[in-house]
Amino acid sequence: MRQYIPFLPVVAIYGTLFLTGLLLEGMWQPMALLAFYGALGQVFNIFLGLTGYVDFGYVAFLAIGSYGMAIAASSLYEDLGWWIVPTGFVLAFIMASFLSIAVGAIALRLKGAYFAIATIGVSEGLRYLIEGTGLWGGSMGIIVSRPLREAFGREGANSLSTFWADSILYGIALVAAFITLMILKSRAGYAFLAMREDEEAARVMGIDTTRYKLLAFFISASLGGLIGASAWTLKMNYVFPSDVFDIVYTIEAIIIVLLGGSGTLLGPLVGGLVYGALKYWLAVTFPGLQLLLFAPLILVIIVAFPQGIIGILRERMGSAFRGVIL
Amino acid sequence: MPPFLIALYGNLLNGAILGAVYGMMTMGLSLIFGVLRIVNVGHGAFIMVGAYTAFFLFTLYGIPPLLAVPFSFIIGMGLGALFFYTVIKRLIDSPELTTLLATFSFGVLLEEVAKLLWGPDYRGFNWEVGSLHLPFVTIPLEKLYAFLASVSMALILYIWFKKGRSGMAIRAIMEDREGASCCGINVDGMYGLSFSIGIALTVASGSLLTLFIPVGIHPYMGGIYTLKAFVIAVLGGLSSPWGAFFGGFIFGLVENGAYSLFGLVPGLEPFSMTYFAAFLILLILLLIRPEGLLGANGG
Repeated sequence: MRQYIPFLPVVAIYGTLFLTGLLLEGMWQPMALLAFYGALGQVFNIFLGLTGYVDFGYVAFLAIGSYGMAIAASSLYEDLGWWIVPTGFVLAFIMASFLSIAVGAIALRLKGAYFAIATIGVSEGLRYLIEGTGLWGGSMGIIVSRPLREAFGREGANSLSTFWADSILYGIALVAAFITLMILKSRAGYAFLAMREDEEAARVMGIDTTRYKLLAFFISASLGGLIGASAWTLKMNYVFPSDVFDIVYTIEAIIIVLLGGSGTLLGPLVGGLVYGALKYWLAVTFPGLQLLLFAPLILVIIVAFPQGIIGILRERMGSAFRGVIL
Repeated sequence: MPPFLIALYGNLLNGAILGAVYGMMTMGLSLIFGVLRIVNVGHGAFIMVGAYTAFFLFTLYGIPPLLAVPFSFIIGMGLGALFFYTVIKRLIDSPELTTLLATFSFGVLLEEVAKLLWGPDYRGFNWEVGSLHLPFVTIPLEKLYAFLASVSMALILYIWFKKGRSGMAIRAIMEDREGASCCGINVDGMYGLSFSIGIALTVASGSLLTLFIPVGIHPYMGGIYTLKAFVIAVLGGLSSPWGAFFGGFIFGLVENGAYSLFGLVPGLEPFSMTYFAAFLILLILLLIRPEGLLGANGG
């Protein structure tokens, strides 16, 4: 049981967010925003934090997941009724998994900057393929508000987008955090650590680096697909290629992981909270100027605290806490 | 000739001309990656700065865009030096994560400052100096000038890189950083110089680009050029500025040729399909020939 202790603060933090949103008037949406960024950081961290590879086209997995949900909802609602939502999640998971295996098997041979550029190529290429061929509605996207209303009724569809879509994000975040913990505590955790330090050396030691990279890529991508299905299709009720393939989400995921501390359990959660709260505060206090203020702030953080918040805490605290803060 | 072939011929010719500007636009990206191993994801924002420079010099003072190029180059040197000495210098040996995020953030900063200063509207101007009549096509002279300017800039860079003292020092650093440092080369200074020149080339290319986009100048115009520059840089081998220049030509031809071809297929949206083709080429090249089409490495 000892090895699960680091999971308690994660549950406590997400639980607090959830209850605050539920009990305090007007707090549900701000808390859901924090949960979205926490979940985004948590799933992105599984790949980036464990392998050190920067997937600059990560948003493609969220996008393909949101399409999975949209396809299920718009084409199957007459046959399946309310089952379209579970079906949509399964489809989102499968589509994101397939994409991750296809991309991973090819692109993971590349290293560093070459990998980053290849992944951005996949994401943008996919977007232009959809827009160019008119696949899945092309640049017009898919709107699912009517199918969801028919399947769930007006009240049901409403609570689906304002309550359940957000609640599912908490669940995804917890699952992702739990998987991160399991990996960090297992043999695979050592393999990832060795690989991050020196990939060649790890391979010489007999670690099948390709398999581990692909495993982390797959887990991170398929959970990302679920986030897209929930946070975009179910919540917004529409999918437009220009919105769901927006590179800004990849950047946000990178910022969150870097802010909190890459490769740690609590890092992406803390990073997501800080990033989400800061973004919300800037948007409310300086509407229209948030990016102007945010960009230099990020530059300062990169230069001054490259190891992230959790990294700093780990350095400052004694060894007694090292086991707790992963 | 059938009308389709005439259109294709015209498009390809235009593609070659625009391709030279594309090539120059990407040389800075490749120079920075070749020397510092940093991918400048904020690349397009610097192009935007060059475009606004040309726009304001022309509309406020009547200075033609070709003469705006030296101005843009100086502005670019300044911006590059500022960015290098405040941020990049401290990140040279950091993982990709930090440098990608830093260059992206700097690009966002430039875009937001541009929006604050000049508003979000699309702007543009027309500088017409007559045109050259060839069989079947007419080429506006200002585009031909942009072509010549790009080629000369590339040549100047080539001579500086091969013969100039600092150019040689930079090449030495690309070969072996420690060795160069032992020979008394100021590595940090040369990093700063190559970064600034890379940015300056990019800003200058933005000024030339205005001749091809009559109403396309706005704060967020750079994004698509960043992506194009990635494809071009990979065509040329990512770390070779000369490869990038020729990659620009190829990209210009492919872009315009593909546009004509996809336009023939009903049901396809040729504009998006052209970009799709570009990214497909990017992926295939990265897998089978990451050293670029010409096999160049490092100049």
